[in-house]
Amino acid sequence: MSSSPSVLNEIQAEQVAKLPSHDHRVITVALAGQPNVGKTTVFNMMTGLNQHVGNWPGKTVERKEGTFTFNGNRYRLVDLPGTYSLSANSPEEVIARDYIITERPDVVIALINAASLERTLYLVAELLPLPAPLVIGLNMIDVAQQEHLEIDAHVLEAAIGVPVVPMVAARNQGVRELFEAVDELVHHPAAYHPNVPEIRADHREVLSELENLIKDAVPSPYPHDWIALKLFEGDAVITKLIQESLSPEQWEAVHGVLVEHDDGMMAVASGRYDWIGRMTRVAMRHPSMGQIGLTERLDRVLAHPIWGIGVLLIVLGLTFWLTYTVAAPLQVWLENLIGELSGVLSTLLTGTPDWLQSLILDGILGGAGTVITFIPILIIFFALMGILEDTGYMARAAFVMDRFMHLMGLHGRSFIPLFLGFGCNVPAVVGARVIDSYNARMLTIMLAPLVPCTARMAVIAFLAPAFFGRGAALVSWGLIVLSLVVLAVAGVVINRWILSGERVAFIMELPLYHLPNKRTIALTVWGNTRSFLAKAATVIVMASLVIWGLSYFPGRGIENSYLAGIGRVLEPVGQLIGLNWQLMVALLASIAAKENSIATLGILYGTGGEENLASVLANTITAASALTYLVIQMLFVPCIGTLAAVKQEAGWKWTFLNLAFLFVVSISVGGLVYAGASLLP
Amino acid sequence: MLERLLKRIADGGIQSQAHLARELNVSEDLIAQMLLDLERMGYIRRLEDSCDSHCAHCDLASSCAGRESVPLWTLTDKKLPF
Repeated sequence: MSSSPSVLNEIQAEQVAKLPSHDHRVITVALAGQPNVGKTTVFNMMTGLNQHVGNWPGKTVERKEGTFTFNGNRYRLVDLPGTYSLSANSPEEVIARDYIITERPDVVIALINAASLERTLYLVAELLPLPAPLVIGLNMIDVAQQEHLEIDAHVLEAAIGVPVVPMVAARNQGVRELFEAVDELVHHPAAYHPNVPEIRADHREVLSELENLIKDAVPSPYPHDWIALKLFEGDAVITKLIQESLSPEQWEAVHGVLVEHDDGMMAVASGRYDWIGRMTRVAMRHPSMGQIGLTERLDRVLAHPIWGIGVLLIVLGLTFWLTYTVAAPLQVWLENLIGELSGVLSTLLTGTPDWLQSLILDGILGGAGTVITFIPILIIFFALMGILEDTGYMARAAFVMDRFMHLMGLHGRSFIPLFLGFGCNVPAVVGARVIDSYNARMLTIMLAPLVPCTARMAVIAFLAPAFFGRGAALVSWGLIVLSLVVLAVAGVVINRWILSGERVAFIMELPLYHLPNKRTIALTVWGNTRSFLAKAATVIVMASLVIWGLSYFPGRGIENSYLAGIGRVLEPVGQLIGLNWQLMVALLASIAAKENSIATLGILYGTGGEENLASVLANTITAASALTYLVIQMLFVPCIGTLAAVKQEAGWKWTFLNLAFLFVVSISVGGLVYAGASLLP
Repeated sequence: MLERLLKRIADGGIQSQAHLARELNVSEDLIAQMLLDLERMGYIRRLEDSCDSHCAHCDLASSCAGRESVPLWTLTDKKLPF
């Protein structure tokens, strides 16, 4: 940028030499434009040291004015406050428009940004209806060229009907031409034929009606057509002005028109945007394919309605695979570690009472062990989710999944945590926190336990062959499909009748892609893992102790335990759906951890080990009961870890609702399956 | 153009500013400007991108990657003009 005295003096000296002796009129020019568009550069360039800085009357907004000589004429240049529009939203906007209307400068220069043409033309659309001729300075042409935007200033000039001067004010390019155009306009005003934006066509008649109602009362020097537009826009300052200028009866008539056409603001703004669209379509060319940035090139695939889904499936598959492949050996290592610790503790506890040994080994270590084995899954999950989010990909994933999710009243952002539920429901529930909408988040949390996790699938993988032999694969596949169908139906029902009422429309700004920040990811993993351990761990351990206590006391074996007593109380219910009390107890025990159901069955049937359980079960339980048990197991109340996560993320109310919901759904569907299966030969 | 944008939003689902810009054959800049106008008219509102009450209790909410949500707008309850 150059506004050095030497440049100014060169311009002014050249012009002074051309000064005719008879022209003493001072031409007033107002400089309008958005902030940071280059007004100050132009102002300083022209006025140099002949500036006066003060405040606008009665305001704390700075006012700058200066004088210079150009083409033999004296000019007074007024730098209006930078504004994006001329509404009454800020004092700067009111100052700018009031100055133009009341002071009537000879010309208004609208300085606009060529690199952001459409947006900066909005101010031009508001300036054109004002009673001062306009010259447009199309600044930052160099920036527009760098972004491969082609703007034909001549075409734009012909379209808008006002002089358009391309400039790079920072390099003193086009500034002289700008004021040449101003000079020309001042001395040949008849050549000025602007293309002024109009209100949307369906409102033109009512606009005329409004103008007729107010024209005799509009205070000078306000133009009545501009006032009518501002009334339609709901401009607070103008509305007050007119209300005070009209009689009560006149105002009632005007107010009636405005109330009847309460979409007037939309009609006015719409007219402006349509005008902007027409102007830019003829004068501007967007970049060609080869010059599009990296983000847009990636989005043509990653955000594509078809390719985007394919990429998402691959990304999610990799996420799923990494989470459980990387975490699985760590889990096994941790389980072995816990097993060894159990062995050491068992040795140390030799000679102590049985209940104490069982409390520490089965209760505390068993409960704490459950928590510890979650950690590898959660760490990998949080890290991968953090990477996907930080790179900007997560926004695209949510975007492409939306059209499938919205059928259930959910959106793309719900798919990510639900998909992770296939590994473990805990991250599915915790992951729902990425969803901004409260209703969608609660719905996701309610549905997450219906996603068949690996623990449930492990139970199915063990029990299905025991019950169904070669039919196990079909049964297993059917169980998973059933889970997803129930999930989808439940989602539709809950959304429609319980969590309904929210408009499901979102506009998002896809962020630019960028490399993930290691520190951000590390902090995310650390913070989320620590938060989970601190809160959920206490609940998991306490609940495991309760389950242990019920299965141990009063100490005469599991068949005589309180847990067995509870199972027998539930037996009448179980008989309705084909489950004996042992299966009911195993179902209850699965609340601690789904795999517990297998161990519990092993204890209850006295097999001493899982390897004999399969043959015992096959001889003891009918196929209909077995199928019912597996169906209920898939849909039943989730494990304590998931319940703890629900409590952490949604509070007690939603936890109890979730418990009740899943209990009812699982028993109901199980009952239907038993009734149907019993009819089969 | 403004009505077309609002109608497109009211169709439901997630729309990206980039896709809306391509569909309406305008720049993303102008879409951003029109969204501000629709907000001013009361048809849409910007969703707060700070953590909800649950994340507010999280120790590292400020650095959590899960909360670095993209700017989101949603429709309000105001009756649409079509």
